[in-house]
Amino acid sequence: MTRKAVIAAFGAALAIFAGLSFYRSRHLREPVVPGPSVSRVAHLGDYFGPIKGTVNDVNVYVLEGKEPGGTILLLGGTHPEEPAGRLAAWIFAENAKIAKGRIFVILTANRSASTVTRLGGAYPPDFTIPTAWGGQKFRMGDRWSNPLDQWPDPEVYLHYPTRQELAYVDIRNLNRAFPGRPNGTLTEKTCYAITELVRREKVDIAIDFHEAELQYPVISTIVAHQKGADLAAAASMFISSVEGFAIGVENSPKALRGLSHREIGDATDAISLLLEAPEPFLDATRGRTDRKLLLTGKDDFVVRAGKRGLLFEKIDEKGWPIDIRVGRHTSTVLQILEIWSGDNPAKAVVLSGVPRYTDIVRDGVGAYLKDPKTIDPAKLFYE
Amino acid sequence: MNATTSAALVLAVMVAAYAAAKALKVSTEISLFAAALAGALAGGSGIPARHIVEGAFTYFDIVLIFVTATLFMNLLKESGAAVFVVRAILRRFHRHKAPLFVLLTLLLLVPGALTGAGSVTVLIMGGMAATVLGTMDIPKPKVAAIIFVIAGLSAAAPPVNLWAMLTAAGTNMPYVGFFLPLLVPCVVLALLTIFILGWKSKPVDLEKALAELPEAPPKMNWVRVSFPFLVFSLLIVAGRVFPFSFPILGLPLMFAAAAAAAFILSPIKLAFFKTSRDTIHQLLPLIGTLTCAGILVQVMALTGVRGLIAITTVTLPITVVFLTLFLTLPVSEAVLMWGAAPVLGVPLVLLFNTIGLNPVVALAGMSVIWPLGDAIPPTAIIGRLTTTTVGMKEPYTKFLKYCLVPAVLIAVVGTLMVVFSKKLAFLTVF
Repeated sequence: MTRKAVIAAFGAALAIFAGLSFYRSRHLREPVVPGPSVSRVAHLGDYFGPIKGTVNDVNVYVLEGKEPGGTILLLGGTHPEEPAGRLAAWIFAENAKIAKGRIFVILTANRSASTVTRLGGAYPPDFTIPTAWGGQKFRMGDRWSNPLDQWPDPEVYLHYPTRQELAYVDIRNLNRAFPGRPNGTLTEKTCYAITELVRREKVDIAIDFHEAELQYPVISTIVAHQKGADLAAAASMFISSVEGFAIGVENSPKALRGLSHREIGDATDAISLLLEAPEPFLDATRGRTDRKLLLTGKDDFVVRAGKRGLLFEKIDEKGWPIDIRVGRHTSTVLQILEIWSGDNPAKAVVLSGVPRYTDIVRDGVGAYLKDPKTIDPAKLFYE
Repeated sequence: MNATTSAALVLAVMVAAYAAAKALKVSTEISLFAAALAGALAGGSGIPARHIVEGAFTYFDIVLIFVTATLFMNLLKESGAAVFVVRAILRRFHRHKAPLFVLLTLLLLVPGALTGAGSVTVLIMGGMAATVLGTMDIPKPKVAAIIFVIAGLSAAAPPVNLWAMLTAAGTNMPYVGFFLPLLVPCVVLALLTIFILGWKSKPVDLEKALAELPEAPPKMNWVRVSFPFLVFSLLIVAGRVFPFSFPILGLPLMFAAAAAAAFILSPIKLAFFKTSRDTIHQLLPLIGTLTCAGILVQVMALTGVRGLIAITTVTLPITVVFLTLFLTLPVSEAVLMWGAAPVLGVPLVLLFNTIGLNPVVALAGMSVIWPLGDAIPPTAIIGRLTTTTVGMKEPYTKFLKYCLVPAVLIAVVGTLMVVFSKKLAFLTVF
């Protein structure tokens, strides 16, 4: 009897402490200080009613210049476990000054996935980016929508509309569910809403931010739909010569369905691109799984794997710090926009205020996050 | 302290905690939990409540499949469907050893294939198969060896193979394309096992066998036996043919629907709640193992031990990896049971993928070898369950001796599947 009581008490204590941790991370409010060009903040549900009021009815920050021009969509948080994507989008939303054209920024494309961490993966629930004003805490997140929001998974996932057979769990993967299905699952509806946004706002270029493990062959690259192949190639060339880092270009495979770079390009008039930066935290050979690894990208075991030629990106003792990963994303977008605007003056998107790779590596990501205490709380938004 | 030393120390503490727990006759699942807890403490994480609970849910979906599929099988057994099929096969084929062996093998393969657990095969079909084989004058240790090896292969057979599912989940690889790479070796090796070990047997003594087997309910017939399987198959087919209009049920609900059909069509009144309770009671050690394996894997990832095992494995010379699969896989199974898949399977599959092998066929080959570990101490759950079910009084080593020939065959076939996985890639059609 005593034994049972002790075990029950231990179980109850675990449940309470774990439950509090899960609750706190699921409901962590991440403040966003809208930048100087944010003219309004819409919701994804504005583009597709059935998403309204759900966990994925996320904010859409609309940045507008005084002069008309082209329209760009930046997607952060398609996979929230790849934080450089969210942070790059954050920097655009809080810093960009648009002179010409419009930029739509989604910071957490799959908010549901940002409220859960990988089962068995030992991810930290959150991480903090140091800033001059103390630091800003972000949810860690996972690759797939939270099972609390979408469950069960099917026996096999057939992609809509191609019926391509995919892993059952990928029915909760936002980057396997494009272009989306209006009467589908939460993840499919979210993709449909994003595709509707691209159509209705006549988006010219949709850019999806990602990170990848170094054991994954598609890394440090721009994956481009055939409509954007020339643009991506030119951007890659300029970046390699002037930005201080190299980035490759990969053609979006036509046989692999559900990915944003394939489906948004096929389903709409937009050029669709996907950016990949290296994230050692995701490697299966990684050592201790903690916030430090997430932010520094330093890992002895991954370095050993690299020395044995098992990786598709270089890594040394310096790792892949978050500043480098975020800087790669912002510079790549800026180069893409400069080339696009030069080639398409009528649809140009001209902006300033967004730090480039060298700025972020020098100053740190935190230098470009705005202190929420400095503005009227009524003007803050939360992710 | 560098990462390797730190992770190696934590690993040493985990191994010591596990060994100490086993020495104190603590069950496997609690020993796994003790190892996880000790690892977290040694790694400086204290008692990480969030990670323990999160890890415990790692295989939650698989546990649900396991429970509902076993309930389905148990209801079929209670309704008399299983004994009906065995008696029918005996009456028709008692004079013909070859077709009798083939049908007996298929019957033994079904429960494990559907549930992913060899123990379910032993519990559902083991007793009846032992009765039939016993009337053919096959000694009990040999009978136990036949049932154990085929039960292990049934767990590896598709559609549900937990080792492959767990490893695929850990490598972001779809559990797709495994059907033939698992079906072909499992069926062939199961047939070889029964024919090799049972070939010198006498013909079935029909009268004796029928007298020893329980009677099937008079109203039992083939429609009642096959309809629940038809329900399950229809739900699978409907989900694939009408994926955009048919609701997503998930495998657990599909098995539950099949169980409901078995319950409704049973010619005798079944005690549903008693069978449910018995099912959970029967599965508790295995559910506990899956749950604690999830916690262990999470703590290993947290402390860097998983990375240490992964990097050590993937940097070994490939010939050494190939030549030791027959040893490393069963031993890891004996210690961790299904926990072996995420701990050892994931880095191995990543290694095979990196060197250009076909990961699906390679993983299928590994999955065929893994169940052999279920006869080896410290766990040996299924080995001991089988000898008990058969009623074997001889020493356990005698049973192990009879397992040796099929085990060598299985290890050779599994290893060859890994080595030549690229050439066998044509099997991964669905």
